[in-house]
Amino acid sequence: MPEERSEDDAANIEAPTAAPPAPDRAVSGYGIASAVLGVVAVIAVIAATVFALNHRADVQDREHKTRVLQAAADWASVLINMNAGNVTSSVQKLHDGTVGKLNEDFEATVTPFTQLVQKLQSQTTGQIDSVSIESLHHPAPGQEDKPDVAPEVAAVASSTDEVLVVATSVSQNAGVKPTVVRWNLRLAVSDVQGKLLISKLETLR
Amino acid sequence: MRNLWRVAVFDILVPLAILAGLAYIGVVLGWPLWWAAVGAVLAVLVIQSSVVNFLLYRRDGVTLGTDDDRPGLRAIVVALATAAVVAAAVVGYRSWTVKDQTLNGDMGTVVGIASSVAEASATFTPGAPNASIDRAVSLMAPERADAYRKEFDGVAKDLTKRGVSGQASTISAGVEGISPTMASVAVLLRGTQNAPGQPPKSAILALRVTLAKEQGRWLVTDVMPINSR
Repeated sequence: MPEERSEDDAANIEAPTAAPPAPDRAVSGYGIASAVLGVVAVIAVIAATVFALNHRADVQDREHKTRVLQAAADWASVLINMNAGNVTSSVQKLHDGTVGKLNEDFEATVTPFTQLVQKLQSQTTGQIDSVSIESLHHPAPGQEDKPDVAPEVAAVASSTDEVLVVATSVSQNAGVKPTVVRWNLRLAVSDVQGKLLISKLETLR
Repeated sequence: MRNLWRVAVFDILVPLAILAGLAYIGVVLGWPLWWAAVGAVLAVLVIQSSVVNFLLYRRDGVTLGTDDDRPGLRAIVVALATAAVVAAAVVGYRSWTVKDQTLNGDMGTVVGIASSVAEASATFTPGAPNASIDRAVSLMAPERADAYRKEFDGVAKDLTKRGVSGQASTISAGVEGISPTMASVAVLLRGTQNAPGQPPKSAILALRVTLAKEQGRWLVTDVMPINSR
């Protein structure tokens, strides 16, 4: 047995010298194929990540626009439902929902309207018929150069969207035929630190 | 060191890439039942293979990544991982990127069509009574176009007889809602009517234009006033 072992050992020792050592560190065809596939996989991972991030940004943008539409509808709803009984609270609510020059000039802007509401003692009910994010606008002649967003608003708002609101309200005055008012409003809704505020009110007449 | 990166890439990263690819496809598709079933089976197979790989390492001290005798198997596993992530990227591109781009493009398209049809609907010239009708009808669905032409013919005769003309121009337009096949657009127009011997009358018109996508083309299905009363 010891003799056999020594023969085996000899064979083991001689074997490497009989054949040249395999170049185990050389890259085989499989290795090249794996490397190529690996590069393709990395490119696919990068592409999939870009697609996911772009889609996420699109979804967030759509969610933001939905919130903008809701904010515009809520604000306009207060405006068109103003009655003699709720004029003070409505004006306060509307004022709180504004920013920029509209906020500064709010009292002066709505005073004639609120005085009229109180004087007539009218009972108004209104409903929003349509709300949409404006994507096409032809400015009135002479207003082409006017910036869409006022500089003082642009300084504090992360984004501003123009919203079209179409609404109808019916004012009922004692002893008088009901008056139907059609509202065609163009509101600018600005995102100020996550809060959506109205920065411009334009009535299309 | 060489073995370390091979373990990291082939034994850890590759199965994780396959699982991530399966999960990505599930998220993109919204986890429909068929994919939840197929994805779960494939995920179990991947996990099972990883467990077997670990057990073989415990027994033989060699893994899929470090086994020099199995370069072919390693290439097959990398091919599977590549297939998974490429499939994920393709599904993500088709279901997210293409759809998002189409939707964004459609928003511009429907507003343009709605504006054109709304303007044509409120425009009339006695000298060319059919001009605006033809313009509007060319952008309408066939069934709506026929009805529109019939409705407008009577009005056109009356306006021609009285010599009344009307022009309309879009002030603003916006999308109320849109899906891959349907859309609703609000259009605010300034309409001006001229009648002989009378001063021009101007008014703001608020119209809702609904559209449907038929064979890849947006066509108007209805035009109606927005105001409810």
